[in-house]
Amino acid sequence: MKVSLFVTCLVDQLWSNIGTSCVAVLRRVGCEVEFDDRQTCCGQPAFNTGYRNEARPVARRFIEVFEESKADAIVSPSGSCTAMVHHFPELFSDEPQWRERAEAIAARTHELSSFLIRVLEIEDVGARWQGKLTWHDACHGLRDLNLKMEPRRLIRQVRGAEFVELENAESCCGFGGTFSVKYPEISLAILDQKIEAIERAGVQAVVSGDASCLMQIGGRLSRTGSKVRVMHLAELLAATD
Amino acid sequence: MNTETFAENAKAALQDAQLRDALRNATTLFGKKRREAAASLSNWEELRSQARAIKDEVLLHLDRYLETFVRNAEKRGAKIHWARDAAEANAIITRLTTERGARNVVKSKSMTTEEIHLNAALERAGMQVVETDLGEYIIQLADETPSHIIAPAIHKTKRQIAELFTTELGMAPTDDVAQLTSTARATLRERFATADVGISGVNFGIVETGTIVIVENEGNIRLTTSLPRTHIAVMGIEKLLPRFDDLDVFLKLLPRSGTGQALSTYQSFITGTKRNASDEGPEELHIIVLDNGRSRMLAHPVTRQSLACIRCGACLNSCPVYQQIGGHAYGSVYPGPIGSVITPQLIGMQKAAQLPYASSLCGACREVCPVKIDIPQLLLHLRSEISEKQPSGRRKERLLFKLWAAIMTRPWLYEKTASAARLFQRWLKPPVKAWTSGRDLRPIEAESFREQWRRTR
Amino acid sequence: MNNGDARAEIMRSIRTHLAMSAPYDGPEKPINTNPSKSPVQTAVPSVVELFKQNLEAVDGHCLVVYNEAELSEAVNRIVNGRRVATSDAPPATGDLFKYDVGITSAQAGIAETGTLVLDSSVERNRLVSLVPPVHIAILNASRIYRTLSDALTTLQSGEEVSPAITFITGPSRTADIELTLAIGVHGPQELYVIINQNN
Repeated sequence: MKVSLFVTCLVDQLWSNIGTSCVAVLRRVGCEVEFDDRQTCCGQPAFNTGYRNEARPVARRFIEVFEESKADAIVSPSGSCTAMVHHFPELFSDEPQWRERAEAIAARTHELSSFLIRVLEIEDVGARWQGKLTWHDACHGLRDLNLKMEPRRLIRQVRGAEFVELENAESCCGFGGTFSVKYPEISLAILDQKIEAIERAGVQAVVSGDASCLMQIGGRLSRTGSKVRVMHLAELLAATD
Repeated sequence: MNTETFAENAKAALQDAQLRDALRNATTLFGKKRREAAASLSNWEELRSQARAIKDEVLLHLDRYLETFVRNAEKRGAKIHWARDAAEANAIITRLTTERGARNVVKSKSMTTEEIHLNAALERAGMQVVETDLGEYIIQLADETPSHIIAPAIHKTKRQIAELFTTELGMAPTDDVAQLTSTARATLRERFATADVGISGVNFGIVETGTIVIVENEGNIRLTTSLPRTHIAVMGIEKLLPRFDDLDVFLKLLPRSGTGQALSTYQSFITGTKRNASDEGPEELHIIVLDNGRSRMLAHPVTRQSLACIRCGACLNSCPVYQQIGGHAYGSVYPGPIGSVITPQLIGMQKAAQLPYASSLCGACREVCPVKIDIPQLLLHLRSEISEKQPSGRRKERLLFKLWAAIMTRPWLYEKTASAARLFQRWLKPPVKAWTSGRDLRPIEAESFREQWRRTR
Repeated sequence: MNNGDARAEIMRSIRTHLAMSAPYDGPEKPINTNPSKSPVQTAVPSVVELFKQNLEAVDGHCLVVYNEAELSEAVNRIVNGRRVATSDAPPATGDLFKYDVGITSAQAGIAETGTLVLDSSVERNRLVSLVPPVHIAILNASRIYRTLSDALTTLQSGEEVSPAITFITGPSRTADIELTLAIGVHGPQELYVIINQNN
């Protein structure tokens, strides 16, 4: 199976290890991974802030780049970016040709856990990680892509990992893109509910499928001097300690 | 508190520890009860889809349905009054009450009457207006506005309520909820007994029979609509359901979504006026059909779904933002997720421009809405409207995103910009400050993913 | 009194805005006008059992009697010497506030929810069932519908819907003060439904 990696601008610049881990996992399960370095962004920041005219050219660029790929699937370590790609057709409601092209790309674009479980039908990727951990359901992955059991099934196969369910796993972390800097106090208040639950869970790590949530949660955990670390699902699955 | 100072309102609310406690308790309990009630019906999802389909049907042909409703209600003796806006509605209601020499008005809880600020208008005309729903009565005594669509006084502790009753009603100090309730009951009974006019809202208007349906737990709506000789019902144009049978779907969804009950204690089905003068009940029924900005929302399928709302409050309880700041911070009659989308449409984008951005777009509201309103979709739609139609205040932001788009459509420029940002990251100001006030920030990687890829693959 | 200008303007506004939406509206989906039926359980209790269960779950009292004698006895036991107002010969409205118990019949019941259906065109039950702190409702077992949907269908099956129909499910309640449940707010504090299985 040939996969084209959609690494996302956030991972590219701020958390490259997620990208590296994603490649490692996909290769380990037998995929050939290509990376087209003409990719930049899915356009989500502009779209979510209401700037559709500015999001559109970025979406077109994405479509053009990935259309050229002969890969069977486009895989991304981000639920929110994948969801954005699935929103592309909406951006082109008045342009039938672009809309068709957008629909084709959207149909081929998968978030990592969704790709492993639903497409490859693999639960055990040979990962090993010692410790107690919990999972945070990133909102777009949970509600736009219906990812709930998929990451959990993957985590349960990680040798040595003890999984506990977070009491508010499905609650938003408070990031919400520009929301986190437009309304930082509210964002932090929401975040602290998540942090309190994480501390109560007594885990060594909290895992999630979106770098943005991990930055939000991780940024607060380190600020409060917490010993709990954050990990992306790809990093956990790539681990072979 | 007003909508234009939302950001300040929210900050102040976050400092109020008692409010946050009350909100946590209320929203957690409501959320739990709603979940359990929904789970008790194996066809819950089907009901939601049906409800939305019924609402879509009505709204798409609202002109026809409204005319039929009015005709059927009039046939049964109801008097219909049309109000284009709040001022007109208040003028009509004031005229109806003064014409009848009314002095004492009893009111049941109606968000629509809050929306038009009816009480203030009636009081200016010399009426004594008393809210009879316990929660509304409490906030009326406290001279406040409701902070939740179905539990108006949820922000108050019983101690605060007790103090209020002692001060305003001369009640002996007590913390006992049953005592507080019976004090309110006794006081309000006196008002019911001497009321000239009863004013209510309408939960559902049934087109095929001209029936208005009103739902409650306390019994004050029944008293308000049975005792006084005149009943005035204020109904938003969007409240219609085509058929009596449609109530099966909505009566299953509304109480479960609002309070977790299988059915509220009382439903009143009122069709016109009594048949014989000697029968029980009011002599007159007046229905005020209110627009006040609703018809504008029909102009696009995305905004039209706003009108499907049945005012259950479930979205408030599920919203991480509402859970932290409560209802007053929104500065609007309708708070929470639904408030964030209808307030700008009712009072104008200009005044309510902050509200659509006060959301992390988590989608919890969409999950719990009994009529499947896609609130995140609506928020994104409004954000896009605001950024396109509001030149001032967004100019800088729009330019920033234009620049961003120029960079993101040119991979070579993207990489150059990223390198520059990496070099100068220490000097990147405002958005970074808003972040780092409470969170540590990851530095830009010394080597980006793509640089590593080129080097190693 | 129709204030014609306002009516015309509102209708015009509705039509104009619906027309603006037309280019964006997808095809209209046909709707299923059959009300959704709650799935039937395998072990089906009788409507009386179901009614009793559901009424008691909301703090109502339910007794079943099999003849007139038992009915009278049950009523007297509940009334227990207190002042009674009945819907067949109710006192003046102003005086009603002084009574302790109101007795009415119920024109129908709904088992699915433990609900009483009162039709004010059949008897003067609107205030007698509401004002006194105790309400006794006498319900014929043969008038109990299993589902809400069945009841709703029957209510409009006649010539025209009755002017005032009330559904009652349990005693009046509120949770407006710190979400603490209080029974007996404006409506009755106690509700007794006596189901008469007299054939």
